[in-house]
Amino acid sequence: MNTDIIFTDKTNAPSSVEQKTTCPYCGVGCGVTATVENNTIVSVKGDVEHPSNLGRLCVKGSSLSETVSTEGRVLAPRVHGKEVSWDEATSKVAEHFSKTIKEHGPDSVAFYLSGQLLTEDYYVANKLMKGFIGSGNVDTNSRLCMASASTAHKRAFGEDVVPGCYEDFDHADVIFMVGSNAAYAHPIIYQRIVKAKENNPNLKVVVLDPRETATTKDADLHIQLKPGTDGYYYNGLLSFLENNDLINQTYVADHCLGFEDALKTAQAQVATVEAAAMACDVSPEDLLASYELFGRNSKVITVFSQGINQSSSGVDKGNAILNCHLATGKIGYEGAGPFSITGQPNAMGGREVGGLASQIAAHLHFEDPAEIDLVKRFWNAPNMAQKQGLKAVDMFNAIDSGKIKAVWIMATNPVVSMPDADFVKQALEKCPMVVVSECYENADTLACADVVLPATTWGEKQGSVTNSQRTISIQVPMLKAPGSAKNDWDIISTVARKMGFDEAFNYQHPHEIFIEHAQLSGFENISIEESVNRSPDDTRIHRAFDISGLVDLSFEEYHQFTPIQWPINVATPNGVKRLFSQGGFATKTGKANLIPILAKLPKIAPTEHQVILNTGRARDQWHTMTRTGRVPKLMTHLSEPYIEIHPTDAERFKLADKQLAQVNNRGASLFGRVTVSEKQRIGEVFVPIHWNDSFSASARVSALVNPITDDLCGQPEFKHSPVTLAPFNALWSGYLVSVDSKAMTTAYWTKSTIASGVKYQLADQTAIPDNQEFIQSMYPDINDWVVLKDDKSETLRVAGFLDNVLVCFFVASTDLSQQYSTQYIESQFGKIHKKGNRFKLLAALDSDRSFDVGAIVCSCFQVGEKTIKQAIESGECKSAEDLGRKLKCGTNCGSCIPELKSMF
Amino acid sequence: MQSSHSSSLPLKTSLIIVGNGMATGRLLDEILSRTPDKFNITVVGKEPFGSYNRIMLSAVLAGDTTVEGIIQKTPQWYKDNNIEFISDTLVTDIDRENQIITLCANNAENEKTQLTYDELIFATGSRSAKIPAKNQNIRGIFNFRDIKDTEKIQSFAQSAKNNNHIETDVYEEKRAVVVGGGLLGLEAAYGLAISGVNVTLIHRNKWLLNRQLDRVAGTMLQKIMAEKNIKFVLGCEVARFDNLTNASGEKILCGVELTNGTYLETSMAVIATGITPNKELGNNAQLEVNRAIVVNDYMLTSDPHISAVGECCEHRNATFGLVDPIWVQCKTLAERLCFDNEHAFKNSPVPTKLKVSGVQLFSAGVVESSDDTQSFVVTDENASVYRKIIVKDDVIVGVVLFGDVSSGMAYFDMMQSNQKVIHAMPELLLGHEFMPEDNNEKSEAA
Repeated sequence: MNTDIIFTDKTNAPSSVEQKTTCPYCGVGCGVTATVENNTIVSVKGDVEHPSNLGRLCVKGSSLSETVSTEGRVLAPRVHGKEVSWDEATSKVAEHFSKTIKEHGPDSVAFYLSGQLLTEDYYVANKLMKGFIGSGNVDTNSRLCMASASTAHKRAFGEDVVPGCYEDFDHADVIFMVGSNAAYAHPIIYQRIVKAKENNPNLKVVVLDPRETATTKDADLHIQLKPGTDGYYYNGLLSFLENNDLINQTYVADHCLGFEDALKTAQAQVATVEAAAMACDVSPEDLLASYELFGRNSKVITVFSQGINQSSSGVDKGNAILNCHLATGKIGYEGAGPFSITGQPNAMGGREVGGLASQIAAHLHFEDPAEIDLVKRFWNAPNMAQKQGLKAVDMFNAIDSGKIKAVWIMATNPVVSMPDADFVKQALEKCPMVVVSECYENADTLACADVVLPATTWGEKQGSVTNSQRTISIQVPMLKAPGSAKNDWDIISTVARKMGFDEAFNYQHPHEIFIEHAQLSGFENISIEESVNRSPDDTRIHRAFDISGLVDLSFEEYHQFTPIQWPINVATPNGVKRLFSQGGFATKTGKANLIPILAKLPKIAPTEHQVILNTGRARDQWHTMTRTGRVPKLMTHLSEPYIEIHPTDAERFKLADKQLAQVNNRGASLFGRVTVSEKQRIGEVFVPIHWNDSFSASARVSALVNPITDDLCGQPEFKHSPVTLAPFNALWSGYLVSVDSKAMTTAYWTKSTIASGVKYQLADQTAIPDNQEFIQSMYPDINDWVVLKDDKSETLRVAGFLDNVLVCFFVASTDLSQQYSTQYIESQFGKIHKKGNRFKLLAALDSDRSFDVGAIVCSCFQVGEKTIKQAIESGECKSAEDLGRKLKCGTNCGSCIPELKSMF
Repeated sequence: MQSSHSSSLPLKTSLIIVGNGMATGRLLDEILSRTPDKFNITVVGKEPFGSYNRIMLSAVLAGDTTVEGIIQKTPQWYKDNNIEFISDTLVTDIDRENQIITLCANNAENEKTQLTYDELIFATGSRSAKIPAKNQNIRGIFNFRDIKDTEKIQSFAQSAKNNNHIETDVYEEKRAVVVGGGLLGLEAAYGLAISGVNVTLIHRNKWLLNRQLDRVAGTMLQKIMAEKNIKFVLGCEVARFDNLTNASGEKILCGVELTNGTYLETSMAVIATGITPNKELGNNAQLEVNRAIVVNDYMLTSDPHISAVGECCEHRNATFGLVDPIWVQCKTLAERLCFDNEHAFKNSPVPTKLKVSGVQLFSAGVVESSDDTQSFVVTDENASVYRKIIVKDDVIVGVVLFGDVSSGMAYFDMMQSNQKVIHAMPELLLGHEFMPEDNNEKSEAA
């Protein structure tokens, strides 16, 4: 295979090679330059030539080289836990799917994909299901993050298109950030905004978020609205714009439809600023100030993300935002426009190939038979699906009910990430055939798999991704895959061929797939002008998504792919920064639609004994931690799941700061450490999404999320689940540092990867064990122990040595207020400690405490809170910049700068 | 022999010290440093040596130093400091009314001398305690108290060493028993063992140093001492010494019979079960005497011209066996004699250390925990390290350190000053360097 030749060429090179690729984390899609030596990525840095990041990388991206390891990887195919050959595994999958389809029809099988897949992987999977199996049952975890925005775009613009580009941030006068903690979730975009603010002090940033976050710290105005009231805010804004004569009448007349209806509906619901303020539970003054900023400036961008999307009325909220931009014509020019930012690296690419159950492919949809026919003809598809498939939540319901009898999950971890995750787990356990293509053994979903297929991951596989501003970039293979892991496109194609679809899936390289994808995007694609004027019998269909300009891309050009923003075609061979500059929306009429929005509150309101559970990202983690959980420095900023709660609620539910508590819903509980903070509104708690069964005793927040979805797009309401709270009632707490992972039996545990092994934070609801045997029994090879205890069973510490090397260190205390610093003891692992005064290790402190730098604030340079406070107290540092000069903190990825600033 | 009356400086006060042990040595230093010329000082000692460091006798026995090495005050020193030193001499009588004492040299029992005093000081020390065993009046049973004892034991051990060095077919192993598993007994046993003697230590209690150590530490100590070739019989006493009679009709020790019925062959026994204060001169002078010569807070006996310091005195029902409080007594007495200052002596607990090479041990205060205490223990079995701190009402009341005695004195000071420690536990147990500098640090963090 060609890829193998590339591997050989690269990995046999005597000296180090620099290779440009694309970061696999968030939807910003940063360019990365990796240095590869001897089949190892030794370092990564930001690609200064990449338009998305211009050389910058966040802490997650900066740590990429540390995530690439063969440790903990799935290395060989398994059928029912038994290692088998690839031939046997793929035959098993092909035969079982074929048999199921034959007996129960095409809709009895499903694929559940991921925004982590590359476009080529996605394309092949989607083609197999929709064109050859004949079902629409392909959905993806993008359903969990982008379905609302995608549908809102479709309704307003006729197609799922983000009109603007990142450069617009450099030119804007006002940036609204709605339901986005970009400082954590999209650090590079956030820092671009911070930089823009430095360059243009008049730039105003307004953040709409029920929480105070790192993003709100630098904002000029924080509208801390009641959860789920964004629709009211935007209906109020539309009314305000009308009332103050701020509507762009000309633009509306030339390029929009539905303005009157939208306005009427908005006014009927939220006629005034006061009404909006009441609905959103914020001060009318602040609200008015934000409306003024929107209405009275021309260069206005609205960045919106999961706070809008993950809602039972997410599509409507998206359209409420788009309505305001369309009504004022703030779209399609430099520094203006609505800007949906994507969570995943290739959520956009997935949508482009049709990886959602509601799409066919290439931005074509099931609603129009002509569109189905177009794709059928292009693919020469024998069993073209004729209708939408089941969306994520419905898909797992169908698995549970037995309607779907075989499912193939690729590159995602639904047992952790889906709402009502325990139900998803049970459904998968019942399903007769669960195939999971996965890279990491620590993905909880593997436990439900009948067939496990080892997949390649970032750094090993090749393919394209599309980021939030429509830029297509390439990820390149730099390393040899571990074990017998294969690329997803290859695995799917093999199974497709074994199912009898030889010719259509005879791919040898992702380059061929990309060319086919580009051809499909241009197939019978006409310009919007032609489309508006086409005759009824013309089967050609306009799509803004058109990359037909790339159909002649050579193998070499594909490998050295230059990032480019679609559309790319004869008219715009070098791509397009901004779409809809001259109107020309991708609707049948060429005009944008304003949608009448009747704003709705979340579907389930909390009772008086409940609070609202909101979810989101932590700064240094990614999704379900299968990748970031492997990087010690990414675990230092936050190593435990937490529950952020307002002091009033903490008192009400008898929860103490830094103590453990549980959040309950749907018969499931989440354990986390309480952070009492006025950043939360009263009646709301926040829990990060990342932790799961591989990293914590009970921390899958998705298990608490009601399977409530948006009727229009099927996206779940992750940001609003009524839950109850209770103290954890620990009798002791402590930690275990160990060279290797152990099965924990304590009621509460959280695991984090550290340089010397793993660290477990522990708590239990039974007394501290009388003796140390329960620790010692985990280490049958060790018989050299140092033990500290007291005769009142209040404290127990145990250190285990193997050939005088510290390999295990356990601390337990009934003093639950203890805040443990493990930095010193971690540094002592792997070192030889001669008998003598090694007992002093049990203090877990160096005598001058220089190791105790406090909680890590800057992950990149591992700078702790205590060190920073000292530098501030000494008077040496008077600003975040001073701190950066002295301690380096905040000078790499910059995502800790909001925290640094807040320390002054 | 000159009397103080013939001194060329008749205005000086005449000061006589009876006894020439460590207390006397220290007292002389304290006096000379204050008032080098106030007194005409005479020291009467029953041993032929100058003042020596008795604590180091076990080091002499162990061969770590020599008799010369532990002499702190040579005859020349007394000369240089204008002190009359009368060695090898006993005080036989005291005439309190006329302030006269009668002396008798060891080697001239009929030659008696008399000296007058203005101030008389008893520093007569103590002797080994007796044990109740039968048949003790035979050759081969030694105390371990003074240089003479040490030399006897040493010569016995030496002969054992020499014997063992001769590689003959007839190998006669020297056997010894040491009675008493306290500090002195252990040091004696160790000294003998490293000389090649086959030593068995007999101790009444279930574990060694039972007044200073708990069972765990005592057992660890036993393990380490066993590695130094000492055998142990714990939980019993000597019932009877057994003897044979040699050609010259002398009764010579040949074995011991223990209370548990065991019989051990041995040619030497060292009794080290404790000390008895030498209070006889006090009785002779008809001073107030209890277990020892009773003194007040200023080391004055019931006679206003007679003082007592060291192991021969009793202060508020306490007698003394370790140097630290005795040093304080010497200071108290010197202040009063030299300056008439009354600085009351206060008896304080004293930490214990054992002088056996390779054994680190420190103990102070209570040893066993009780219901109202909390004890923190760290054990490194393979390194033979054991440390325990007992806390009561937030204050250290007991410390047992074995194997690593670092921070012992710091804990001791904390104990003495009633320093609050519970917030620093358990880290403090591992070293006083872990005591938070700011005592509030931890509670603040909490």
